[in-house]
Amino acid sequence: MSAILSIRDLQKTYAGGFEALKGVSLDIEEGEILALLGPNGAGKTTLISTVCGITTPSGGSVTVGGYDIITEFRGARSLIGLVPQEVNLQPFETVLNTVRFSRGLFGRPRDDAHIEKVLRTLSLWDKKDNQITTLSGGMKRRVLIAKALSHEPRVLFLDEPTAGVDVDLRKDMWDTVADLKADGVTIILTTHYIEEAEAIADRVGVITRGELLLVEEKKALMARMGRKQLEVQLNERLDSIPAGLAHLDLELAETGDALVYSYDIHAPRTGITGLLNGIAEAGLTLRDLQTRQSSLEEIFVDLVKGDAS
Amino acid sequence: MNMSAVGAIYRFEMMRFFRTLMQSFLSPVLSTSLYFVVFGAAIGSRIEEVEGVSYGAFIVPGLVMLSVITQAISNAAFGIYFPKFTGTIYELLSAPVNFLEIVMGFVGAAATKALFIGVVILLTASFFVDLSIQHPVAMVLFLLLTCLSFALLGFIVGIWAGNFEQLQLVPLLIVTPLIFLGGSFYSISMLPPVWQTITLFNPVVYLISGFRWSFFGTADVPVALSLLAIAGFTLLCLGLIWWIFKTGWRIRS
Ligand SMILES: Nc1ncnc2c1ncn2[C@@H]1O[C@H](COP(=O)(O)OP(=O)(O)OP(=O)(O)O)[C@@H](O)[C@H]1O
Ligand SMILES: [Mg+2]
Repeated sequence: MSAILSIRDLQKTYAGGFEALKGVSLDIEEGEILALLGPNGAGKTTLISTVCGITTPSGGSVTVGGYDIITEFRGARSLIGLVPQEVNLQPFETVLNTVRFSRGLFGRPRDDAHIEKVLRTLSLWDKKDNQITTLSGGMKRRVLIAKALSHEPRVLFLDEPTAGVDVDLRKDMWDTVADLKADGVTIILTTHYIEEAEAIADRVGVITRGELLLVEEKKALMARMGRKQLEVQLNERLDSIPAGLAHLDLELAETGDALVYSYDIHAPRTGITGLLNGIAEAGLTLRDLQTRQSSLEEIFVDLVKGDAS
Repeated sequence: MNMSAVGAIYRFEMMRFFRTLMQSFLSPVLSTSLYFVVFGAAIGSRIEEVEGVSYGAFIVPGLVMLSVITQAISNAAFGIYFPKFTGTIYELLSAPVNFLEIVMGFVGAAATKALFIGVVILLTASFFVDLSIQHPVAMVLFLLLTCLSFALLGFIVGIWAGNFEQLQLVPLLIVTPLIFLGGSFYSISMLPPVWQTITLFNPVVYLISGFRWSFFGTADVPVALSLLAIAGFTLLCLGLIWWIFKTGWRIRS
């Protein structure tokens, strides 16, 4: 597979002197979904804005579909659809007009059938003649998506597409994203909902303070960074952890009849054998065993904390 | 050239105009009629003729210019300011369009609206006075160039403006005085000599003089100079806009 989006040492220093991007490099394969995670102010929107031509880069280079975003901006931008983080819409226009406008602006010939398809997919067809002011917040956000999809982009940027969207609709949106992926559209999305990245992304990138900490296959990341927990359920009730087990990373469940052991699956010794032996020596008997792997969210929180210290 | 984008912007801007067509139509008709009542009837009865033309007819070119210039500026300024205000400018900045295409869409629409108003005023005026147009081709040319160049100026004002007050500021504080002092309602030759010289630094003088020449065949300044002035002004505005987009001044961070 070839990279459809290639970012090399991208830097952005805002007019006030603030360094929002400190040399980001990233390749995105055609047809993949990349989720960008990072705390507020990390530089996610700046990265997207710079690729899309809304802010000018201070250094580095970007190509989209082989077109340089500065010298061949027409080629590059024709491939891109952008759903911005802020809900920016002209209040007094109708849904249909704004969406048609977007298609024309991107140099596409009028195609009412395509516009209808997009509006139907996003459940906006009923509202097509409504003024934007009469829509709810979630509907407005979907109008933004409709605008971006109106010109059939090959690369779609979604800057927090599901902020302020209800649970049902979020699932719908994930389905839409999956359909787009099936059509071969490359998708870069930012989100603060880690379960969202977990549910739909192929790869996950983590940004903090203008630096890309890592980009990895979601599965690999979870496997590599993952901590596991082993819950040992006992037949006995305990008031405290037995002295023989005190040296281990153990927690006693509130009910007193289970011990939770945290370990790193990649460590040379996980310590599970020692734990089980210790339990036997303390004269306890096992009722059940259960393991649990940490979610992307926990990994993410660990990463960002680790970076801050 | 992304002509589809130019068309999209143009249509989008014109749609707003059509939604408020009655307002767009009524206000110039009303104001022109008022000018004729005040200037034509009340003052005009004391001023017999200016340069061989009845005073009522003499002020028509100035009246048209006054409205066309203010309308071209305010429409273009609002047209580009509003996307900045609502944030929808992100779409213009991320679209495969260059500065010329954006300008053609917005300025073209603003110039069309101004032209419409100009024609409405001319028609209204023809109910009050006998109008003869000696050089119709030149008249149309002056009118078109005025619509275009001041729409360009308005576009710059809209990009410069940081709030709605500033949007009104330039038309109100600079352009309206220049038009009133530019010989809309009098001939430069009616002024004392010192003021005649000072007036020559007012660019609007050249416009109104040339425009009036196309009606009555008399001018305050040579017609060629008028044409040169307005062409120069158009180029100046275009150059400024080119620079704005090149540097991203006030639009691209
Ligand atoms: N126009 C601007 N001028 C100056 N600084 C800016 C500008 N836009 C953003 N910044 C700064 O750049 C940094 C990164 O902002 P950015 O919007 O890219 O963050 P983000 O990762 O998208 O955050 P969030 O999750 O809150 O959307 C922030 O510190 C912000 O204050
Ligand atoms: Mg952001």
